[in-house]
Amino acid sequence: MIDRRSRLRRVLEIELPLILIIAFALAPYAWMVLTSIKPDADISTRPLQYLPSTVTLEHYGTLLNRTTFATNLLNSLVVALGAVAVGLGVSVPAAYAFSRFRFRGRRLLMTSFLVINMFPIVLLIIPLFVLMRALGLLDTFIGVIAGHSTFAIPFAIWMLTSYMNAIPRELDEASTLDGATLLQTIRLILVPLVMPGIVTTAIYIFVTSWNEYLFAMMLSGQNVRTVTVALQLFIGEFTVQWGLLTAGGTLVAIPVTILFLIVQKRLVGGLTAGAVK
Amino acid sequence: MERRTFIKLAGATALATSLARPAVAQQTTVRWWYHFDKPENTPDELIAAFEAANPDIKIEAESIPWGGGGDYYTRLFAAIVAGGAPDCAMVKLNNQAQLIEMGALEPIDAMVAGWDGRTDISDDIWNVNKSADGKQYYLPLQYVVLYLYYRPDLFEAAGVAPPTNFEEFLAAAKALTQGDVYGFGMRGGPGGHDNWGPFVLGGGASFEKGGMVSDAALAANRWYVGLGTEHKVIPPSAPTDGFRQIVDNFKSGRTAMAIHHVGSSNEMVEALGDKVSAVPVPRGPDGKGWTLFGDESNAVFSSSANKEAAFRWISFLSTGKNNVAFNRLTGQLPVVTSGAAEWTLHQARFVEASAASLPMAAVPPDSPLTADFVRTVWPTNMQQALLGQITPDAMMQAIEAHFHG
Amino acid sequence: MKPIAARKRLILTPYAFLAPALLVTAAVILFPVVQTAWMSLFDYVLFRPRSIPFVGAGNFVRAFGDPVFWLSLWNSAIWIGAVVALQFALGLATALLLNQSFWWRGVARALVVVPWALPSVIIGLMWTWMYDFNLGVINDVLLRIGLIGEPIAWLARSDTTLPAVILALVWQGFPFFAVVILAGLQTVPAELLEAAEIDGATPFQRLRTVTLPCIMDVIATALLLRTIWVANSLDVILVMTGGGPGYATHTLPLYAFLKAYSSMEFGYGAALALILTALLLFVVFAYVRRAAGDLDK
Repeated sequence: MIDRRSRLRRVLEIELPLILIIAFALAPYAWMVLTSIKPDADISTRPLQYLPSTVTLEHYGTLLNRTTFATNLLNSLVVALGAVAVGLGVSVPAAYAFSRFRFRGRRLLMTSFLVINMFPIVLLIIPLFVLMRALGLLDTFIGVIAGHSTFAIPFAIWMLTSYMNAIPRELDEASTLDGATLLQTIRLILVPLVMPGIVTTAIYIFVTSWNEYLFAMMLSGQNVRTVTVALQLFIGEFTVQWGLLTAGGTLVAIPVTILFLIVQKRLVGGLTAGAVK
Repeated sequence: MERRTFIKLAGATALATSLARPAVAQQTTVRWWYHFDKPENTPDELIAAFEAANPDIKIEAESIPWGGGGDYYTRLFAAIVAGGAPDCAMVKLNNQAQLIEMGALEPIDAMVAGWDGRTDISDDIWNVNKSADGKQYYLPLQYVVLYLYYRPDLFEAAGVAPPTNFEEFLAAAKALTQGDVYGFGMRGGPGGHDNWGPFVLGGGASFEKGGMVSDAALAANRWYVGLGTEHKVIPPSAPTDGFRQIVDNFKSGRTAMAIHHVGSSNEMVEALGDKVSAVPVPRGPDGKGWTLFGDESNAVFSSSANKEAAFRWISFLSTGKNNVAFNRLTGQLPVVTSGAAEWTLHQARFVEASAASLPMAAVPPDSPLTADFVRTVWPTNMQQALLGQITPDAMMQAIEAHFHG
Repeated sequence: MKPIAARKRLILTPYAFLAPALLVTAAVILFPVVQTAWMSLFDYVLFRPRSIPFVGAGNFVRAFGDPVFWLSLWNSAIWIGAVVALQFALGLATALLLNQSFWWRGVARALVVVPWALPSVIIGLMWTWMYDFNLGVINDVLLRIGLIGEPIAWLARSDTTLPAVILALVWQGFPFFAVVILAGLQTVPAELLEAAEIDGATPFQRLRTVTLPCIMDVIATALLLRTIWVANSLDVILVMTGGGPGYATHTLPLYAFLKAYSSMEFGYGAALALILTALLLFVVFAYVRRAAGDLDK
C-alpha cells in the first residue's frame, strides 16, 4: 500500500501512539527487571528506590546456579512445543473439516468443543489428577502435554476455522478443477494462505501452555517441573523472595518474545491479492 | 511404534527389571513431601546422614509449592483421594481434623512411646499437637509463636513503654500515630486472625458454642474493629494486608507495632538493626492472654506401606541436632529443648520473646471447619467490618454461625 | 456425478479429519467434566468421603438463595464486560498500528506480547506490589506528579479494588486481541483498500467500510473465545485479592473455587461452576445462531 502521508504525520499518527502503547505494555515488566538487579536492601525501602544503588546480578546467579530454574525453563519449552505440535496436528484437520464441509452434527460438534472450555479448569483438576494417576501419566511430559493441548484445542479449532473461512472457497474449487487431490489442495493452496492464522494459533497454544500453572502444579512432580511452578516456589509461607522471583519473571518472558519476533514475519498480508482472478 | 507393540515391550521390560533385581536386603523407599520457604535450601544433607545410619531405607523427598497453603493441600488431598499419597509429609494443625475425618492419618502413639527423643520436646508442644480424639497423629517438627514487634526508638521518643495490656496498647498506638506513621500495622488479609486472636480471644471470646456472641466477646471485637474505624491507628491498607505487607510496612517505618513471629526477625534486624525489638502480645483484663502457635509437624499416612520406616525418618528430623539443622533450613524454631540453648539463627531477644509467649500460645479448634474459617470466613467478615459494610457484632455472629450453625 | 465410493469417502472425510481432535479431547477431558457435573448432584464434602448424600437439585436451589452467589454473579458481569471491551479496544488499536509499515515494526510486534507472556502468578504479584499502599510505585508516581495528595490503598477499598484488578487483566490480555486481529488483517485484500483510497475515502472510512467487515468473523470469534476465557479466569484475582476486601472481587468462578478448595464443599462448588457454564452457553448459542448464516454459507 502506498503510504502517501508525510514522514511527520506518520510519526505522529502511528509511531507515537504505538510508543505509548508499548510503554504501557512494558512498564510493569521494566519495574520487574529493575528490581531483579537491585540488591536486597534496595527492594523494600521507603522512599522508593527507582534505580538500583548498585547493579547486582546476584539474584540471577543464585537463580541459575543454586536452583533448578534453568532446567525448569527447558521443561516448559518442551511442554509448550509438544502442546503446539499436538494442538496444531489435531486442530488444523478439524478446522478444515468445519470450514470446508457441511455435514450432520457440524454445529453441535463445534459448540460441544467449546463447552469443555466453559468449565472452570480448577474444578476439573482433582478428577483429572485421578485420571492421570490411573493412566500412570503423572510427572511425565506426556501427561502435562496432554493436559495443555486438550485445553488449547477447542480455542485453536475455532480460531483456525474463522481464519480458514476468510479464504474464498473458490480457490479450493479452482485447484480441484486443475486436477489436484484434496491433500494437495490443502498442502499447496490452503496452508500457505492461512499461514498467518496457523502462526497465530501456534503462538496462542505456546503462550497458553507456557503460562499455565494449575495443570503443571498438579500433574508434574520433581521430574517435569515447569517454570511457572518453579516460580511459585519462591513464594513461601513466611517470605517472598523478591530478588529471585523478579529475576525468574524477567527470564520467563524472553523465550516467548524471541519466538514471536521470529514468527511475526509470517504475519504479512496481500497473499490473497488477485488469487481468485 | 504401534500401541500394542509398545505395551508388550513395556510389560516385558518391567518383568525383566523386576527379575534382574539382586536378591539382597529389601530396601524400603519412604516418600516424604515438604515445603521450604527458600527453595535453594535442600534437605539433601539430612537425607544423606539418615541413609548412612539406616542403609535399608531410602528417602525420596519432594518439595511441593506452598501457594499460600492452597496448592500444597490441594496436592495432598488429591493424592490421598486418588491413592498416590506419600508415606509422610509436613502438615499443619489447621487440617488435622479434616485429614482424620478422611481416615488419612496413622496414629503414632505406640511408635512415639518407644522413641527416646520424645522427652526432648516440651509437654506444652506435645499437648498442642494432640488431636480431639485423644490420639497422637502429628510429630512436632518446628514452631513459631506470634509476638509483638515494636520500635524502641519511636516509643522512647513518644515517652511510652511497650504495652502489657489492652489499655496500654491503645494508648501507645494513639501516641505513635502521627505524620505518615501508624501505631499498629493490623493484618486484615487471610491469616490475620493471628492479629485478632490476642485481642478478641484474649479478651473473652472462645470457639465454644456461644463463645463468639457472649457480651465479653462482642465488646472485645468492637474494640478491635474500633482500632480502625474509630481511632484510626491502622493504615488504610490494613483490610487486605498480608504478612508481606505488614512486615514491609514495619521495616520501612510506616508502622510502629506489628504482630508477627521469629521467621521475619532476621529481615527486620537487617533493615532496622537495634531499632526493632519484641515483647509478648498484650494480655487481656483477666491477665491470661492468647497468641497463635504457628505449628508444623510431620505425619504418617494410613495408606503408607512403610509406616515404621516413615516414622524412623520423621523422628530423625525431630531429634536433637537434626532438628536444629532442619530448622536452619526452614528458618523457624526447633522443637527440641536441647537445641534452644545453642540456637544462633535468630537474634536472642526474638527467641526470648517467643519462649516467653509459649504459656499463652494456643491454636484454633481442632475442627474440620477451622481451615475454612482461617481462609475465607474470618477474612471476609473482618474486611467488611473494617470497611464499615457490616457491624462488628454481625461479624461475630457470622463466625458463631459458621462453627455452630 | 461422482461414483458412489468416492461420494461415500467424501462424506466420511470430515469425520476422519475430526477424529483426532475428538479422541484427544474425549480421552483427557470428558471423564473429569462428567464426573464434576455428577458431583454437583451430591452434597460432597471432600473431608467426608464416606458420607455423600444425593441432593439432586439441592445445590442449585441453595445457590439461588445465597446472597454471595448473586453478588459474585454481578461482579462477574462487570468483570467480563469491562475486561473484554477494554482488551478489545486496546488490542484493535494496537493491531491497526502494527499493521502499518515502519522500520522497527518487527521489534514493536515482539515487545507488545510481553504482558501476555508472563505467568499469572508473576502478574498478580507485580501488580499487587505496584498497587501497594506503602511501597507501591503507582502511589509514588501519582504523589510525585501531584495527582493525589496522599497514598491510596487501591486493593483495600471496595470502590477501587475491582477497577484495579480489571486494569491488570486488561494489561495482560490486550496482546491476545492485537495478535489475533493482526493476523486477520493480513487477509484484507489490498486492492479493495487501494480502490477505496483512489475513490477518496479517508483512513477512517476505509477502516469502517473495507477493513472491519472483512475481519468481522475473526473479531467475533476472538470476542467469543475471550469472553469465555475471562469469564472463567481467576488466577490473577486470586493472587491479588483472594476475593476481597469482603466480597468486592468475588467473581463466580472464584466463589466456586473457594467453596471447593477452602470449604472443601465440592458438590456445591461444582454446582456453581455448572451455573456459570450454563450462562456461557447462552452466549455461545446466541453467537452460533447469529453466525448460522455464515456457518452454513
